[in-house]
Amino acid sequence: MTWPERHLRLCQAMLYVAILAAWEILPRTGLLPRLFVPPLSEALGALVTDRREYLGSLPTTFGEILASYAIVCGGGILLGQLVGSSATARRMLLPVLRSAYAVPLVVLYPVMMVWFGLGSQSKIAFASIYAFVPTMLTAVAGVAALSPALGETARAFGATRAQQILYISLPASLPSIVAALRLGGALVIVGVIVAQMLGAADGLGFLITRHRTLLNSPGVYAGIVLVLLITGMHEILLRRLERRVAAYRQGA
Amino acid sequence: MRRHERLIVAAVVLGLFALWEALVRLGRIDPSLAPAPSTVADALIRLAGRSEVRASLGVTAWEVLAAFLIALPTGLLLGFLLAELPVLGALFRPLVNFLFGVPKSIFLPVFILVFGVSIPQKVAFGVFTTVFVLIVGGIAAVQSVPRELITVSRVYGATRAQIIREIYLPAMAPILLESARLAMVFNITAVLLCEIYGARDGIGYRIAAWGENLQMPQLYAALVIVAAAAVAVNEALRAVETRLGAWRQGA
Amino acid sequence: MSRALVAIRGVSQRFGADGGAVTALESIDLEIPNGQFVSVVGPSGCGKSTLLSLVAGLRLPSSGTVLCDGEPMAAPMPRKVGMIFQEANLLPWLSAVDNVAFPLKLRHVAKAERLAAARRMLELTGLAGFEDRLPHQLSGGMKQRVSIARGLVQNPAVLLMDEPFASLDEQTRMVLGDELLRIWSETRKTVIFVTHSLNEAVYLADRVIVLSARPGRVVDDVDVDLTRPRSFAMTAGERFGILKDRIWQHIKSAERR
Repeated sequence: MTWPERHLRLCQAMLYVAILAAWEILPRTGLLPRLFVPPLSEALGALVTDRREYLGSLPTTFGEILASYAIVCGGGILLGQLVGSSATARRMLLPVLRSAYAVPLVVLYPVMMVWFGLGSQSKIAFASIYAFVPTMLTAVAGVAALSPALGETARAFGATRAQQILYISLPASLPSIVAALRLGGALVIVGVIVAQMLGAADGLGFLITRHRTLLNSPGVYAGIVLVLLITGMHEILLRRLERRVAAYRQGA
Repeated sequence: MRRHERLIVAAVVLGLFALWEALVRLGRIDPSLAPAPSTVADALIRLAGRSEVRASLGVTAWEVLAAFLIALPTGLLLGFLLAELPVLGALFRPLVNFLFGVPKSIFLPVFILVFGVSIPQKVAFGVFTTVFVLIVGGIAAVQSVPRELITVSRVYGATRAQIIREIYLPAMAPILLESARLAMVFNITAVLLCEIYGARDGIGYRIAAWGENLQMPQLYAALVIVAAAAVAVNEALRAVETRLGAWRQGA
Repeated sequence: MSRALVAIRGVSQRFGADGGAVTALESIDLEIPNGQFVSVVGPSGCGKSTLLSLVAGLRLPSSGTVLCDGEPMAAPMPRKVGMIFQEANLLPWLSAVDNVAFPLKLRHVAKAERLAAARRMLELTGLAGFEDRLPHQLSGGMKQRVSIARGLVQNPAVLLMDEPFASLDEQTRMVLGDELLRIWSETRKTVIFVTHSLNEAVYLADRVIVLSARPGRVVDDVDVDLTRPRSFAMTAGERFGILKDRIWQHIKSAERR
């Protein structure tokens, strides 16, 4: 690392330390009302003291996340592959989907609650709808970006359609599939938590809301920190997967 | 899309609505869960006539506009600063990228703790959700200005003000418009989320209330109104974006 | 002999501070009379572009003076010195005619007047009929023609050209080279033309300046005594080959070092 780079990293580290220190000190001095922002240690403390409660909310939450993940990534990516490989389908569907992206899907949650009640089904339905289109669009873009030369070369060697998909399209679109997984996963996690916040009987989002109504701000922040940990871990895992997949492609 | 393809898409959409209508009338779909399109259309017309509903729409629109007007200059200016002052930019970049990637919706309870359930709370949350898109957009816009064009302008004796007006602004316009459009999408979603979560007025509040009271035709009608409004705003902004960015094709 | 239009006296150019300083040019002395077409060649990194930017007034020399028509070039003087770059660098959101009129717009020339001047220049460079095209609708060669028209629109006495044809294919280069000579003979500007191509350097110019590798010094000043108008057939002739070879000997030994 060159000296300016080292200098930069040092300044960045100092910045982060300063922010964390401010989070701890400012509420204690009363400059930031404790109700709005509790000291960092209290928030983390609440996480530890109430850990049974928080950990207890995880099975439901993870279950809903995983179920939505399967629907979005299975269905969304598969559909994305199909649509992406046909120029006609892309031409017809993409403008519609891009316009539909503007619709604030959050308004669908009250409908989900009417249909499925407060249980897990409404969360899974909502998160799946919320994440479906963006994930599919990513998968479509990935397939559309594939060089047609690859397919033509395969056909020149007499490959059947199935062989083309198996040996050319699928491996070639792997990086974009992982990118779609990454996006879909992030949206699914947010979708589930937000749905739980809006109306649920269980789950991490439900806990956060409950602490908020009780004006227990350390509890609220503890929940938020936990959500950030979950999204952070997901992000790290998927970036690692993305790198490994891209490495294969470059080696090819 | 070619013309006949447009017709096909329109036909499919209409067909789906017709199918829905038929299934309700045949008793295959429970109208208490999903009322027929004709019922929803009816409710829509009646809602449009009710002044309290129009007032609620006005409240939501006001919150969206206020949040957007605050976030737009703030975010873009911060973005410009981070791009033009490389020291600041390098220092804050990882932080901005991190905050950009964090889901903002989960912070909604914090805003209620700070502001209580109120209009300032919704506007503040809208600003919070939107400002990061604009910061990133501002940075990207400044970085998209080709440096060579600035050199060319200097050769032709342009003053600093001329370089900003003749080179920076036209070059940045497409990216700035695109981030403004995206910001608006996030903004509308954020404000509606606030209203559904906890509010005293606004169309999101009414949607949540109609849901709780199982008043499905009104709920669906409101969904149609909100969706149509959001898409209309998005398409309007996109039209401006396309016109001002026509020179980018082929680049 | 007419007074030199461009005078470069004792010019050296250094970049960077003491420890890591790089001397791009050293003790350059050149006098270029009015109306002369001069090529500048040299191995990569010899400071050709730096020299051009000094004459354009984009930089100040570390030592020595650069004069144009008796005035030191302390800042860009677009009415005296026009510059054409390797990339056309057209403003992508402006049509061809607006791009050519751009320097005049910067000087607040009235719209009707500047558009008329721009159209004349586009006609001169062979682009009549393409005025309203956007850059993305023009080929590489056409974009360079627009760039040349833009460089000429303020009628500068000196035209600086920094490898303007380098990113074009060979056939377009040849066509544009002949076009450039036609425009030059009609307008009689003083041209300083930097290029990597020895063919181009000899074919186009009255005089070829050869620079050494960094730090760039003038190692040869070749008088190109081929008759004008130049023709493609000349490039196969003996004289052309001798001139090229003379230049190549300098560059060859420099590149090997």
